[in-house]
Amino acid sequence: MSLDEATESDAAARAPMLDLGDIQATVLRLRPAPYYGSHVLLRVDNPQAGRALLARLVPHVDSAANWWDPAAAWLSVGLTYEGLEAVGVPQDSLASFPEAFRVGMAARAPQLRDVGVNDPENWEPIYGKGQIHVGLSAFSDTEEKWARVMDVARSAYEGLSRVDVLAVQPFGAQPGDRNSLGYKDGIDQPPIEGSGVGPLPGQGRPIKAGEFVLGYPGEAGAPLPMPQPDVLGRNGAFVGFRKYQSLVGAFNRFLRANAATEEERELLAAKLVGRWRSGAPLALAPETDDPALGADPRRNNDFAYQDDPRGLRIPLGAHIRRMNPRDTPLSRLTDVNLHRLIRRGTTYGLPYDPDAVSEADDEAPRGAIFLFISAKAMATMEFLQQEWINDGDFIGAGSERDPIIGRQEPGATFTIPRTPVRRRIHGIETFNVLRGGEYLFMPSLSALNWLANLTG
Amino acid sequence: MTVLEQTIGQEDRVAEKIRRVRELYADAPEVGQAALAAGLENLKRELAASTQRQSAGRIGARQGKVSELTSIVPLEPGGGQRIRGLLDLLEGNFRGADLVGTLHDMRFVLLDDDTKLLFATAYDGEWDAYIDDFVTKIPNSMDILFCNCAGWPGIRSPVIKDWLLSHQITADAWYVASPNLTVAETKRLEKVGAALDEFLDKIG
Repeated sequence: MSLDEATESDAAARAPMLDLGDIQATVLRLRPAPYYGSHVLLRVDNPQAGRALLARLVPHVDSAANWWDPAAAWLSVGLTYEGLEAVGVPQDSLASFPEAFRVGMAARAPQLRDVGVNDPENWEPIYGKGQIHVGLSAFSDTEEKWARVMDVARSAYEGLSRVDVLAVQPFGAQPGDRNSLGYKDGIDQPPIEGSGVGPLPGQGRPIKAGEFVLGYPGEAGAPLPMPQPDVLGRNGAFVGFRKYQSLVGAFNRFLRANAATEEERELLAAKLVGRWRSGAPLALAPETDDPALGADPRRNNDFAYQDDPRGLRIPLGAHIRRMNPRDTPLSRLTDVNLHRLIRRGTTYGLPYDPDAVSEADDEAPRGAIFLFISAKAMATMEFLQQEWINDGDFIGAGSERDPIIGRQEPGATFTIPRTPVRRRIHGIETFNVLRGGEYLFMPSLSALNWLANLTG
Repeated sequence: MTVLEQTIGQEDRVAEKIRRVRELYADAPEVGQAALAAGLENLKRELAASTQRQSAGRIGARQGKVSELTSIVPLEPGGGQRIRGLLDLLEGNFRGADLVGTLHDMRFVLLDDDTKLLFATAYDGEWDAYIDDFVTKIPNSMDILFCNCAGWPGIRSPVIKDWLLSHQITADAWYVASPNLTVAETKRLEKVGAALDEFLDKIG
């Protein structure tokens, strides 16, 4: 079943209001299943060479037109602040970008709570130093098409002097389409008004498009501040690029130390996320996994929290409940719709191995690179890292943190509500360590043309 | 650095601080000089302790999870009268603040013949994390109160954060008795305490 068939057929709700032909495909197009692809990170040392690179790329960067059709293969491109500088964007235009974007993800580490093991000092050396200028991402649904898109990408960035390849990171194709901790992921995406597809059951009411794409009204009525000139900002979006390494050994050791049988381990693993490995939510499958439910996009997200206020099925601190609390009463005045991000998760490295328990297994390169996309991705990521990931106060959970992507302090706990008394597990560790990150701007196709034709 | 070297470094640091306090108080009123001479031993302990000073972000002071926001804002003509009248009618009821869930307290003081407002609050976390939420959730509560301030751009304005920052004054010192207790945690502990008492009453 395609996504189009899976969604509401109300014609009015589906009429696209966004300029889909100008917005890059990655902003709206869902990751294929299975998926294959690469991220390519480039450095540009000369404005002419940078603009030549963009001019070569533009004809091959795909738009979001018909993004709901089963995807074939596509290429997207983003630029960091230094990248915009490197291709010769004028100073007044550079100054119109938000401060967090201008200084970059590493400089915002205190606001992002990227400290301790996640501190930029511990990142892979290419990240956080202002030398990543352009990021390309190739997505595809078969290995063969992946190779073809990469040929196109290479023909754009190879053979240009002063354009250097810093990293090529292949991703995708885990057995059963699972991520590096063994879960199906990427299920709950924010529904976007005017994107041409109505919400899936359980997705909630569509959120104003201006929260995700620049140039459209946001939830407060007005468009969000937009980089200038208009042609550069409109139909663009910001991207938080974050590379995580999954500590599979630590994760498996935690499951084994706190659950006696395989059934109990799987239940504990489901309590951490709020979903079984198949993607089936505990709200609808509280006792045992239901792979058919997990695989069905019309059912696997169709729930609310009103009949589970204490978190007896999905713990208040579970990963999916933190990242989208839906109708959970929160202790702080919050408009949940203001803090959502489009996520394009891309798994890299070895597949998940349930028997990997050694410390050497923690060292194996394996994890996920996320693209977090919205019209204010920097502000939203800072909010999420501060409030919903590395704290628990908003759900009355003290200083407990997100069990999957939180950075745990020594002696950290995870609470599983039960009757008559809750179970509190001590000694939860950091299971995903940040290895690097950058903020990118994903311009519209017209903006890419504008950039390619800059002079000076 | 050896433990001995650290100890010597620490002693030097405290001695230097005492020297500076003495210098500051060299021309203090006699009562202050006498108090310093008598109270120096107690003061030494505070001078020797590690710093508790933290920043609450771009502006303001923090201890643990609790931050302070202090601002003095000139009022619109007639604004002082409106604020005084409104606060009087509210009789200490601030449902909006209850909803916000991060405010420990709020203090409104009209200064200089009601031409300026001193607004001070203790709050949890980052001061601007939830500004966007105010815009969609309680815009009217904010505008009703603060429209009386000269130049209030409106809570929906894109320059609202800059306006707020421009009137904020970082406290020179900030003390919090329970720096790890947020409003949410305090309410949770109140509930836990009540439940525990009820349980003990039943079994006792």
